[in-house]
Amino acid sequence: MKYETVIGLEVHVELATQSKIFCSCSAHSYGAEPNEHVCPACCGMPGMLPVVNKRVVDYGMKAGLMLGCHINRVTTFDKKSYYYPDLPAAYQTTQWFAPVAVNGLVEIETSKGKKGVRIKQIHMEEDAGKLVHDIREDTTHVDFNRTSVPLIEIVSQPDLSSAEEVVAYLDRLKNLLRYARVAECEMAHGTMRCDVNLSVRPEGSDKLGVRTEMKNMNSIEAIKRAIEYETARHIDALENNTEVLVQETRRWDDIKGKSFAMRTKETAGDYRYFPDPNVMPVVIDDNWFDEIKSSLPEFPEVKRERYMSEYGLGEYDTEQITKSIALCECFEEAAKTCGDAKNAANWIISEVMSILNLRQMTYDMLTVSGKSLGELITLVSGGKVGRANAKKILAAMFDDASINPEEYANANGFVISNDTGLIDKVVKEVVESDPKSVADYKGGKEKALMALFGRCMKELKGNCDPQTLRKILIEYIDKI
Amino acid sequence: MDRVILRRLELLNQLSLTETQKDEVIAFFADRENDAKVLENIDTSNVERMVHVMPVMTVVREDIPSQPFSRDDLQKGAPETDEGYWCVPRVVE
Repeated sequence: MKYETVIGLEVHVELATQSKIFCSCSAHSYGAEPNEHVCPACCGMPGMLPVVNKRVVDYGMKAGLMLGCHINRVTTFDKKSYYYPDLPAAYQTTQWFAPVAVNGLVEIETSKGKKGVRIKQIHMEEDAGKLVHDIREDTTHVDFNRTSVPLIEIVSQPDLSSAEEVVAYLDRLKNLLRYARVAECEMAHGTMRCDVNLSVRPEGSDKLGVRTEMKNMNSIEAIKRAIEYETARHIDALENNTEVLVQETRRWDDIKGKSFAMRTKETAGDYRYFPDPNVMPVVIDDNWFDEIKSSLPEFPEVKRERYMSEYGLGEYDTEQITKSIALCECFEEAAKTCGDAKNAANWIISEVMSILNLRQMTYDMLTVSGKSLGELITLVSGGKVGRANAKKILAAMFDDASINPEEYANANGFVISNDTGLIDKVVKEVVESDPKSVADYKGGKEKALMALFGRCMKELKGNCDPQTLRKILIEYIDKI
Repeated sequence: MDRVILRRLELLNQLSLTETQKDEVIAFFADRENDAKVLENIDTSNVERMVHVMPVMTVVREDIPSQPFSRDDLQKGAPETDEGYWCVPRVVE
């Protein structure tokens, strides 16, 4: 019998705010001491009242609009009972009855073509704290720095049917949310987390099979492996009666390549959701809604079309640049400054992206401004700075975004010299010190000329127009 | 509500009910269950959800982080702390 896999995803995304969702503690705990960013509110002390961070609602709305959702103009917070040490209030403040966004649609593209994935809802909620189990054998250590850091949870309908579709869906979410600058969405940093709800049924059947939820996948590759393993486990259980499938939550162990039962799956009733009496309804009036709607970025596919028609870029170049809104912004500004869009695209793809990759930075971490990059490109195309030295200037601009390329070139001796007297002197010295290469060149070996050219350029520290140097070098050798 | 559940509630709340009182409590909750069933049978499909009993809305604050409270002050009432962590009995095997 042939089977089909039915997958729905719950994706948690940490919002890129400065402070927590219900208190003013910093939302950035990377590198902080344990419990450095905590207060009575996020520690769940009795009597403390939450105050909603406006930017969390802004970002919740933005995410909803980017994913084609309807925005609930009156959205409310609810209490979800959950008794565990990482949740000091013994409940999570989340949204159940009126989430900020509902009924969206995201289009994905795989080897089988395009497909729409329905979004059931996006709700805003607070994150839990961190538990550390390996400091002492008898004790769990609790760190509340992450408690109340704002999240959105994006719940899809069970419209996905393979690991390839799941990967395409997650890539699309990341791309759209990064474009809107609402989240970093980096699985390796824990700013995007994904739970996979999976079941298997005979192909063509409209009845869903027993569903399991898998947690603890920390990378796209781990998600792919987990889906493949779990699909095989379900089919094996149905075909060969190897085990009885039950609705449960399972933990993925990527090292062992297996999933393990964690707990029997809770249902909504177990969480005893009820409206949070401490947070009044959030009412989104027309002004607020319009402000957010007008701040949305151009969608990636619209940008791609425009780059090809307006700037004449090829498909590959367009695809590379539109991977990130930061690259797009840098490209557009650089193209405007230097007046050569294709050259700006080449610099972004060849030089900027390679430095980002080398420094293990995400594309959205780019701080070099498009204006500065455009000025640097102008220096190179105008023959004022050689390409090799321009790369050094670009690397310096990554370290300090305030660097002015021309001033830096002047200060560091990177400006191409028009002093032909200096070039003549260097050529004379190099040629006279290497009679063998001169003889080889005269004997027809073009490579020998390149060796001499390279040595001259090195002596001139790259500050020489290559065409001028080549001309002077050939003329000098011809005279010998 | 039955006698088993009622017994649990008695223990949790440190109560000691007479047999008569137990019968009264069970009968009382049976009535409330019937009330709930009446409410469940009302068709509310065309009724807009009531967000709040009063016409109120939340205030929001700007996204500006402020200096957190002193960790030492917050942990004064903790039974046990260690290097800035709160300590609880181990929750995983």
